[in-house]
Amino acid sequence: MGTIDITYGSLVIGLLLLLIPLYFFYKFGATLVKSTIIAAARMVVQLFLIGLYLKYLFAWNSPLINLLWVMIMVFVASATATKRTGLKRKLVFIPLCVGLFTTALFVGLYFLIFVVHLEHPFEARYFIPIMGILMGNMLGVNVMALNTYYDGLQRERQLYYYLLGNGASHVEAIAPFVRQAMEKAFSPCIANMAVMGIVSLPGTMIGQILGGSDPDVAIKYQMLIIVITFTASMLSLMITIYFANKNSFDNYGRLLEVKKKS
Amino acid sequence: MLEIINASLKLGGKELFKGLTFSLKEGDVVCIRGNSGCGKTTLLKAILGFLPLDEGVISCNGEPINAESAEVFRGMMTYIPQELALPSENVADMVKLPFTLKANRERKYSKLDLMKEWGKLNLSEDLYDKKVSQLSGGQRQRIMISVSGMLGKLIILADEPTSALDAETSALVADYFQSLAAKGAIVVAVSHDNNFANRCNMIVNI
Repeated sequence: MGTIDITYGSLVIGLLLLLIPLYFFYKFGATLVKSTIIAAARMVVQLFLIGLYLKYLFAWNSPLINLLWVMIMVFVASATATKRTGLKRKLVFIPLCVGLFTTALFVGLYFLIFVVHLEHPFEARYFIPIMGILMGNMLGVNVMALNTYYDGLQRERQLYYYLLGNGASHVEAIAPFVRQAMEKAFSPCIANMAVMGIVSLPGTMIGQILGGSDPDVAIKYQMLIIVITFTASMLSLMITIYFANKNSFDNYGRLLEVKKKS
Repeated sequence: MLEIINASLKLGGKELFKGLTFSLKEGDVVCIRGNSGCGKTTLLKAILGFLPLDEGVISCNGEPINAESAEVFRGMMTYIPQELALPSENVADMVKLPFTLKANRERKYSKLDLMKEWGKLNLSEDLYDKKVSQLSGGQRQRIMISVSGMLGKLIILADEPTSALDAETSALVADYFQSLAAKGAIVVAVSHDNNFANRCNMIVNI
């Protein structure tokens, strides 16, 4: 059983649905009309390009090229996260690159080798989509967590100094801010996990079912995708914060200027 | 022994203090006085090792407090900032926070001991079961002071500890600090409050 193809004409018919949200944005004067049109246009172009280069990646199926591709994904994701947090580039860009790359490889290969039991874990058809889904989730969590972490440190400096001034180690003094960042970034993931299959039928599962997979297989993949994205998000965040902290405080433990000047 | 020797500090090009020298031994309660913006709180932060002096030395038991040694010395200190909202909803959780730090694990938290300290500061036991948001500024200040007292540290640094208190309660806080000093602590308090300052053993004007 294969997936029914969508013709380009049908694709246009489908895209027309966007006119409904655009109409309501317009009617209520929301300043989102232009950005929605630009975002939709970018999505169409980017996905066509992805379709094109995935064809080549799958055809070449070279571990080296696949790894290189992951490095490009990491680079773009880190640059995007840096921009979205508004933090200084020299502060978070390298830590994000290290966090995303090492985590994606570790968690992704763990899944492909020990769970899927792939003979060739760098096989493009598995390796690239898994890296992609990990990267997307890690990006969202890192952006939200880093924003919360540094906003907290800036807003509640007194608490940070109070803890240090009462004997806390640096790790203990930043712990409340890491905790806040985790709670804010991971709460939506946990809420989403809790209603999985009841309120929402997730993308991986739908994709597999539409692609002809047995629902039994699809649910197992879905469960593990949720677990690996959750784990990877946490691991990458911890690595990113660990390395970003080295540039965030001076020798005396004072928080340096972390936000880019607007 | 806490020594401030020939200390000078500028912040943002403005000279806060210059050639400041005084030394404190166990049992001393000193009040640091001066106009707003003259560097009183900054001096406390320098003692805590949060910022370097431009000139001079701050030392504890003969060892300089600097970036490398600050964490070790902070283990011997307790700091009471002027205004602080701890991330606890309930008073019972707020008072336990410093006791969860590794440096303070030897100091066992006990509600009974805390209530004894509260008695000395005229705090009602009922406050223990309240939410932090239900406390007045003065109650919160005294609770923080009582927690610092319970930690039994060598050096107590307090930033405007009586800013939200009336004269009578301010005297109570000064006497409380004296009682801690009598047990061997060194108390350094920044204050505008003359009533409080007059109950300290030493006043340093900067």
